[in-house]
Amino acid sequence: MTDSRHLEIPGDEGPDMTAAELALGVLDGDERAHAMRRVLSEPGFARAVEQWRGYLSQLFDLWPALAAPDIFPRIERSIDRLSGATTVVHAQPRGSRLWPSLAALSSIAAVGLLMILLLRPIPLPTVPEPRQNVPVTAPQPTLVASLEPDTKALPMTVVYDQGSGTIRLTQSTLARADRSAQLWVIPADGTPRSLGLLQDRGGTALTLSPILRRHLAAGATLAVSIEPLGGSKTGLPTGPVVATGALAPV
Amino acid sequence: MARARLVEALVRTGEEDRVAFRDLYSLTSAKLFGICYRICGERQAAEDVLHDVYLTIWKRAGAYEPSRASPITWLATIARNRAIDWQRAQTVRRSTPIEDAPEILDKAPLVSETMLHDEQSHLLQECLDLLEQRQRSAIHTAFFDGVTYAELAERQNIPLGTMKSWVRRGLARLRECLER
Repeated sequence: MTDSRHLEIPGDEGPDMTAAELALGVLDGDERAHAMRRVLSEPGFARAVEQWRGYLSQLFDLWPALAAPDIFPRIERSIDRLSGATTVVHAQPRGSRLWPSLAALSSIAAVGLLMILLLRPIPLPTVPEPRQNVPVTAPQPTLVASLEPDTKALPMTVVYDQGSGTIRLTQSTLARADRSAQLWVIPADGTPRSLGLLQDRGGTALTLSPILRRHLAAGATLAVSIEPLGGSKTGLPTGPVVATGALAPV
Repeated sequence: MARARLVEALVRTGEEDRVAFRDLYSLTSAKLFGICYRICGERQAAEDVLHDVYLTIWKRAGAYEPSRASPITWLATIARNRAIDWQRAQTVRRSTPIEDAPEILDKAPLVSETMLHDEQSHLLQECLDLLEQRQRSAIHTAFFDGVTYAELAERQNIPLGTMKSWVRRGLARLRECLER
């Protein structure tokens, strides 16, 4: 890192301070996507981002407090609903009735990905290089989602590379040993399509068929349901939905 | 001391202790509401985001590791990120700073000083003082208002490249100072 300290970027836009810029939150679009990929692939860079995050957090001291309205009762009601909702899902596993509400849920659970990446860089499984000839067109953005579990488990990070059609998820511990956790996409038409089963141990990497790839766009909802071993036999989710999130460009 | 009480409240919240969670709310809601309000720019949105923030805290408190981050940093980071998520999801961007937001002071009266602070806590502020005013101000705005380069440049009405250059040089100088 020391050798890049005085590195000037062409165009005289100043030295390379990408780690600091990501921690500060000033990057967007391609620059942010590129920086996020570096967090996943370069441990030194990830450490630098975390160090900057630590430095900058000293600024929280300066943030003026402001008397908050007492919304604690509302928060408690939501927590009750959270655990209540899970019971309802278990008692009435008619998956299809759950889907319309998912899009709303996942938009509320906005992508907290940056925080997840910064607070705890999570190793993602590597994907074998695609062997087929993928036509080279304009670079397509990487999409990400943070799947928020209904339980207190940690959110899962999902990274979808539109170029190669591979989707990678961090470790999941959602399914018991006698069950399978199945990943679905719910595109704009509202009909869930299976993307595959999650590994019961470690992260998951799936290479999607060209037909499935068409359904993975920014705004599409991802969901994980708990199914019998080997996955749903009906082609639609049958078990409780335990995590959801929306795809967004990084 | 306050920080120890906060750590305990957060750790016990992670064990689904509602009483501890209530305690955590009363200790931290003003700080976190200040963050949400500053970034969201409107009261109702800030309330909704605050609600979301505490739900997130309830779900994730079990993952809090006292050895890795101070409790207020951990909580404030969640609040800032949630508020930025909300702000970036809005279609209409605010192109000027909100008028009635509480001022961010260069030298803070440390509202919660007993909650924070380790030995390094004032180093950043000392180093920021060494920067040119425009660099310091851009870095401040980026952090407190949660805005990107594009919006920083728009607010100041200067070219994007110039803004990037200011901030990058400022950050580079900051790093030299911090690592000295």
